[in-house]
Amino acid sequence: MGIPEIEDAGCLLCFGYNGADSHPIVARRIVRGKQKGMKIICADPRVTETARISDIHLQLKGGSNLALVNAMANVIWNEGLADKKFIDEHTKGFDEFLKVIEKYTPEYAEPITHIPAETIRRAARVYATTKPAMILYGMGVCQFTQAVDVVKGLANLALMTGNFGGPSMGIGPVRGQNNVQGACDMGALPNSYPGYQNVTVPEIREKFEKAWGVPLSDQVGCPITHVPHRILHEKEEKKRIHAYYIFGEDPAQSDPDLAEVREALDKCDFVVMQDIYMNKTGLYADVILPATAWGENEGIYTCADRGFQRVRKLIEPEGDMRPDWQIIADISTAMGYPMNYKNTEEIWNEMIDLCPSFTGATYEKIEKYGGVQWPCRDKSMEDKGTPYLHKDGIFATKDHKALFYGTDWHPPVELENDQYPMTLSTVREVGHYSVRTMTGNCRTLRNLEDEPGWVQMNTEDCEKMNLKKGELVKILSKRGYCITRCLPTDRVKPGATYMTYQWWIGACNELTTAKLDPISNTPEYKYCACRVEKIEDQQWAERHVMELYDDIRAQMGIDTGKGAKA
Amino acid sequence: MALKQVQTTCAYCGAGCQIMFTVDTDANKIVEAVPADGRTNAGTLCLKGHYGWDYLNDPQILTKRLRKPMIRKGGKKSPLVEVSWEEAISYVAKRLGEIKEKFGPDSIMGTGSARGAGNEANYLMQKFMRACIGTNNVDHCARI
Amino acid sequence: MNYFVKGNPDLCIGCRTCMIGCVVAHEGKHIFEVDPDSYSFNPKLHMVKTANLSVPVQCKHCENPACMAVCPVGAISQKDHCIVIDTEKCMGCKSCMDACPFGAINMTVQTGKFQADGTEKKVANKCDLCYGFSGGPACVRVCPTEALTLVTEDELGDAMERKRAEAARNAYLETHPQE
Repeated sequence: MGIPEIEDAGCLLCFGYNGADSHPIVARRIVRGKQKGMKIICADPRVTETARISDIHLQLKGGSNLALVNAMANVIWNEGLADKKFIDEHTKGFDEFLKVIEKYTPEYAEPITHIPAETIRRAARVYATTKPAMILYGMGVCQFTQAVDVVKGLANLALMTGNFGGPSMGIGPVRGQNNVQGACDMGALPNSYPGYQNVTVPEIREKFEKAWGVPLSDQVGCPITHVPHRILHEKEEKKRIHAYYIFGEDPAQSDPDLAEVREALDKCDFVVMQDIYMNKTGLYADVILPATAWGENEGIYTCADRGFQRVRKLIEPEGDMRPDWQIIADISTAMGYPMNYKNTEEIWNEMIDLCPSFTGATYEKIEKYGGVQWPCRDKSMEDKGTPYLHKDGIFATKDHKALFYGTDWHPPVELENDQYPMTLSTVREVGHYSVRTMTGNCRTLRNLEDEPGWVQMNTEDCEKMNLKKGELVKILSKRGYCITRCLPTDRVKPGATYMTYQWWIGACNELTTAKLDPISNTPEYKYCACRVEKIEDQQWAERHVMELYDDIRAQMGIDTGKGAKA
Repeated sequence: MALKQVQTTCAYCGAGCQIMFTVDTDANKIVEAVPADGRTNAGTLCLKGHYGWDYLNDPQILTKRLRKPMIRKGGKKSPLVEVSWEEAISYVAKRLGEIKEKFGPDSIMGTGSARGAGNEANYLMQKFMRACIGTNNVDHCARI
Repeated sequence: MNYFVKGNPDLCIGCRTCMIGCVVAHEGKHIFEVDPDSYSFNPKLHMVKTANLSVPVQCKHCENPACMAVCPVGAISQKDHCIVIDTEKCMGCKSCMDACPFGAINMTVQTGKFQADGTEKKVANKCDLCYGFSGGPACVRVCPTEALTLVTEDELGDAMERKRAEAARNAYLETHPQE
């Protein structure tokens, strides 16, 4: 489905997705939907902006997603609210799925989710009976060790209610970064070539071998979250990683368990960093390649709803930076695999001819229509792309049928304990982005929020510890600690804490666990055990934070004699 | 002051908002950003869209813009030394080539970028890893 | 009648684009060129987030302003449908801040200006409806969810008429129940 369609849904199930902080312009569609009478069910442990205006807020205990989703499916089936015709005509595997969800009565789910059984029933009824119903999900689903199962669980809800194949329905992951969809589309994935074509399928591999003129590996590659392990602990010599070419990312800030990441970068024989700003990863890089930034080069991004759109040059780069594509092409050429392109359009044209889903999305068409949502298979100007997928219930499988997939809930990996009695979940700061090299260098955005960030805690917990708003606190897990400011709020439940992951001093990834979902390899950023400690000497703590900020700025190459202060 | 207007896609988040920039081409500076009527944003922007372009001015608040290729010539922990592009490219090619030779293509990992670089650069990165290095060891921060 | 900016908590998503818009309007676009510490970041509206509410709060531009009445140096005046503070005249006594029942006035540091004790000058700060700038209040203009509106006399008149029509209809329905 497309972003503009959100506001025309009859019902929105917003699951683990906080649009107001991660995509305000998507949140705008939710607000507009509400004004038009859309029913909103919001499943989130926090009172988010969407929860605040929702008809039903399912304030579940963190880490209980699948129990809630399965219980909703259980109610929909047992109360006869399922779309049996759609299930019969367009799906497979429903009977096996029923066996899994059988035990997930609302009463069974209540002690796991901390949501009253009756509220779960009410939510399931509203979702199943209000058409069209749309599901949006975000990192509150994906950043758990049980993530893919929940995505499938949400898809089950849409399938069993026939909410696929038309506008304003279905299930939509709202992708976080500007071009995370694009990086996936282009095959920056260990298991697929551009256009989601699997590297293990011989015919596909042969096609790319022919196009690129070299034999290609048939082995699925290493996911990014396995890299520290593959550098530090890999026993098999052939699988050990010795060189890491890092392009436009900062693992030493964004990845979980930073102490392990730093050790890995330190032990790695050769680290290349290609970026626009100095960052924490740069401290471990053997070579730094300066690239032009957004605003200094041309290209195409893919937004969260599969829309290819042009990004254009605004200003000339001042310095010896080069466009990313040119740097990569030059290295390849120097290594004996020549790459010669005059501009981004030449690269794009080579790519679309190799990807059936993108073939029709020419620069000309993207320019003319302002954007094209893939799939767009035909180059004729009449094929304007695809606003929503699975039209008329025809799915992208061999027999065009969707598959039900039921799994049992399991708890997160690291639970609260005596030593670490609270939970930590990482979240987003609305005015900052990713590792903050961009927004941290925007004057007004840093005025609004700056280091060392905040830890959101329930007001009762704060009162018990005698913590005031803005007070500096120490927060620890068994992997590390950091200092941040306390933000008492009734929007979070007692026992839970939330930290935005943009801060370098209040770096929550010092605490997070690198345990992964077995399929997506995404870390459990949304759940680990932690402890908050009061700092008695606040004057010392304030000075300490200032010193840490100065140290960071000096490490990043800034002359700290002048310029901004912490 | 010579002004031009350029429409582009916002650098932040997956909403894909369209922004109309006014650029002073003499000073090579952005003057203003206003919302454009894009498919997804329909003439609206959030705070990052309105004011998040300032990093192009390199105000050096948190970090500093990279402007020259650099190599740690004395090995790990030695200072970074500014070098020419020719030297940087041939050094990277040589080191990656040596590691590939010694430990095989799967000993090298590369990342795409979900951020500013764009689709074309990601396409080339995965092509480089697959066709030139010979491995499927390429991934990006979609997982993180 | 004085105008005022009204926030709608049903539309507000708490993003605070309005607060930056306010500062950029009042400080001028040169702030994107100067030393990051050389300008003042003093938004004239403030995001309030409680357990169930998000909405920015700002001056209501009262018809009989308590702040104006208590200002001992006459720094607060009524101009073109709004109440404004003359920061040159303001002596920082905080009387207005104390008198305002909405918490719409705060004390702010004026970066680069100094007072008698050598520290940076502190003055009262509040919404001025972007008095003297073209295009109306910046907060209204930049809000991504149209949660802020400038309430003018016409606007208020229309709203009152709608409410009266509603009241009349309700009165009618009370005596003539629908089938």
